[in-house]
Amino acid sequence: MLLALSDITKRFPGVLALDGARFDLRAGEVHAFMGENGAGKSTLMKIASGLFAPDHGAISLDGEPVSFANPAEAKLAGIHTVFQELTVLPNRSVAENLLIGREPVRAGGLWLDRKAMIAEAQSILDRLGIDLDARVQAGGLSTGQRQMVEIARACAQSPKVLILDEPTSSLGRAEEELLFSLIAQLKAEEVGIVYITHRMSEVFALSDRITVLRDGRFILTGETKNLDRPALIRAMVGRDVAEDRHGLDIDALPVAMETQGLARDPAVRGVDLTLHAGEVLGVAGLMGSGRTELARLLAGIDQPTGGTMTLFGEDYRPHDIRAALGRGVAYVSEDRKGLGLILPLTIGDNIALPSLDRLAERGLIAPRRIRDFARDWMQRLGVKAKDSAVAVETLSGGNQQKVSLAKWLAIQPRVILLDEPTRGVDVGAKAEIYKLIRQIAADGAAVLAISSELPELIQISDRIAVVAHGRISGVVPAAEATEEGLLDLAFDEGTAA
Amino acid sequence: MSVAAETPSGGRRFAALARDALPYAGLAAVILLFSLSSEFFFNTRNFERLVTDSATLMLVAFGMTLVILLGEIDLSVGAVVALLAVILAQVMDAGVSWPVAVLAVLIIGFGIGLLNGAITVLGDIPSFIVTLGMMAVATGLSYVFTGSISVAIMNEPFLILFYDARFLGLPVPLWITGAAFTATLLFMIRSVPGRELFAVGANPAAARLSGVPVKRRKITVFAIMGALVAMAAVLSAARLGSGAPASAPALTLDAIAAVIIGGASLFGGRASLVRTLMGAALIAVLNNGMVLLNVNIDAQYIVKGVIILLAVVLERLASGARP
Repeated sequence: MLLALSDITKRFPGVLALDGARFDLRAGEVHAFMGENGAGKSTLMKIASGLFAPDHGAISLDGEPVSFANPAEAKLAGIHTVFQELTVLPNRSVAENLLIGREPVRAGGLWLDRKAMIAEAQSILDRLGIDLDARVQAGGLSTGQRQMVEIARACAQSPKVLILDEPTSSLGRAEEELLFSLIAQLKAEEVGIVYITHRMSEVFALSDRITVLRDGRFILTGETKNLDRPALIRAMVGRDVAEDRHGLDIDALPVAMETQGLARDPAVRGVDLTLHAGEVLGVAGLMGSGRTELARLLAGIDQPTGGTMTLFGEDYRPHDIRAALGRGVAYVSEDRKGLGLILPLTIGDNIALPSLDRLAERGLIAPRRIRDFARDWMQRLGVKAKDSAVAVETLSGGNQQKVSLAKWLAIQPRVILLDEPTRGVDVGAKAEIYKLIRQIAADGAAVLAISSELPELIQISDRIAVVAHGRISGVVPAAEATEEGLLDLAFDEGTAA
Repeated sequence: MSVAAETPSGGRRFAALARDALPYAGLAAVILLFSLSSEFFFNTRNFERLVTDSATLMLVAFGMTLVILLGEIDLSVGAVVALLAVILAQVMDAGVSWPVAVLAVLIIGFGIGLLNGAITVLGDIPSFIVTLGMMAVATGLSYVFTGSISVAIMNEPFLILFYDARFLGLPVPLWITGAAFTATLLFMIRSVPGRELFAVGANPAAARLSGVPVKRRKITVFAIMGALVAMAAVLSAARLGSGAPASAPALTLDAIAAVIIGGASLFGGRASLVRTLMGAALIAVLNNGMVLLNVNIDAQYIVKGVIILLAVVLERLASGARP
């Protein structure tokens, strides 16, 4: 066995990311690594590449036990990783990026041998068949080209293990072909390749074996030829799903928002969606499917490059978030701490922030008005805190999320867009938030709720729209939805370009 | 599992208390110190002079509180006060009546503030560097306009109104300071844009997503700062009886010091106008008392510097290291 990770446990504050996970890799194989968002794939590979230390468990390389204090040690041992987050330096040339840390030098290391560096980098690119000039600045390259520079950098250091985390997510067709032929070449050189992807077709075309992780636990490892798509999807799902479902007769409800061919390159590529007043429309989709980008278009934060939107039958084209708010469309960000709330300010100031104009009398606001207003909304949503003068940063995740919801419900929106409404919230508070979301819809607002947790969507929604590759791959009534069915749509590649 | 609510440690809480108490305790301490060490300090006459002399600093410090609340800074204030005083003196020297001259200076000051704000916000350039540039431009202009010599102000009504005159028994500069304080406080605590400043300073991205017009708010604050600086220049010119280049060398430092002693965070999101008032009073008393005690003027910088450093360290300890 080339690389073996066994019984790995890793806990982050508030989450058990890995719970006895394992993974093994043979020399000369492509091993696909699969699982839902948050299953722990990236965490496990970050442990293999020395970025995180496991709390428990063992790593062995070529049969020898190893431990890496940092990524440099893992690289020295021959484990190279190309992560989704690109690490190419934009102000440096392609050659400098390729040879960073091992640039050819002269005069005992005093001088950089620029000529030799460019020649060496160019020969690496040519050998790998990458059509790039080593002298150009990396900042001018496309995302796909930068990805190829990253891959070339890893390949150039004769790796034993190469970990590719969603390598094709930003590549064009030609670059994809090139990557696949590179992988074949590395395989022939007995390199072990870990391939993390959400694309089923690549898994079956490229891999020799497949491992599936779910909720940080090992589910299965098998030969690709013995597995099929339904078997993989069954392995990836399997959590408890609520029995009682919602399912309003949407034909009886007025249309609140409608989009036609809505697009913003490259993430959103033609979305037709209808949202009714009084319903909860769940939105499912894998990471990078374009679901958050879609919500940002509806909220006026980003501008579409194509398509049309209507709001209650009227033309809707908000040029910024204020315009959307003025029309009664609110967006609750998935990044509660970074974008949703202003942590050092009080609960009162946070809840009142978008409503200040309404609270002012002749241009001035009495502090008492903010206090009473906040107290009212805290009560309605069940925010647990001493009073409205408490700083939001001292609250628990669930209470913070309730404050965040209160802030937006307080403007009495006609349409509310919720992005991951229960992220970082404990189980008890989740149930309360589910109830609140249903209540918002029952009060007549149109609710669009994005979530990575399929059981959650099935429980709170009337209908569920699935986003794949920037398009809607299907809309399913919650009453008929299954995790397998939704995941199957999320992996849909019929809409891929 | 519920994430445990974050309770500040004992040390952090103590630092926060010390930070908030610093301007009051410091002010009380220097008043006590000077009362005991100088027979000329603790009397109505000296206090009136102190208040009149510190009006310039007060106005600029009020504006600086708003700027620092946004997480920005204005380094140009001292140079702009000197430039506007020069313009005021020259315009009146040319025979323009004082109300017109004062109005013109207020408009120019507002414009300079607006320009600082517009370049910072629209150019997405740190205000630190924009106002540093403005400082150099203003200093240069004041030398060019005057040929490096001070211009005396002969306009008696102007000099009397903005320095010696009294209204209901109190000096006019004190009334102006009081009016500026009240207006700034109302703006900060009671107006919609004012309350939004706290959000903009603490987290501009979140403020924007909450519908706050972040850019407009920032430009507005720099413009308000410009108007306060212009009023400060009027009071400064009346007090000195002239407009001279580089006539306010320590003003920028003193104004920033007043806000920092008042416990504001240089990263934005937290500032208190009342504590700035205390901080500015502390600096004013230091300036006044050290003159009475014949302390070398240069040594005053050391005392101020130590107090600023103390305030900054307390502020950092109180806000704790963010994860």
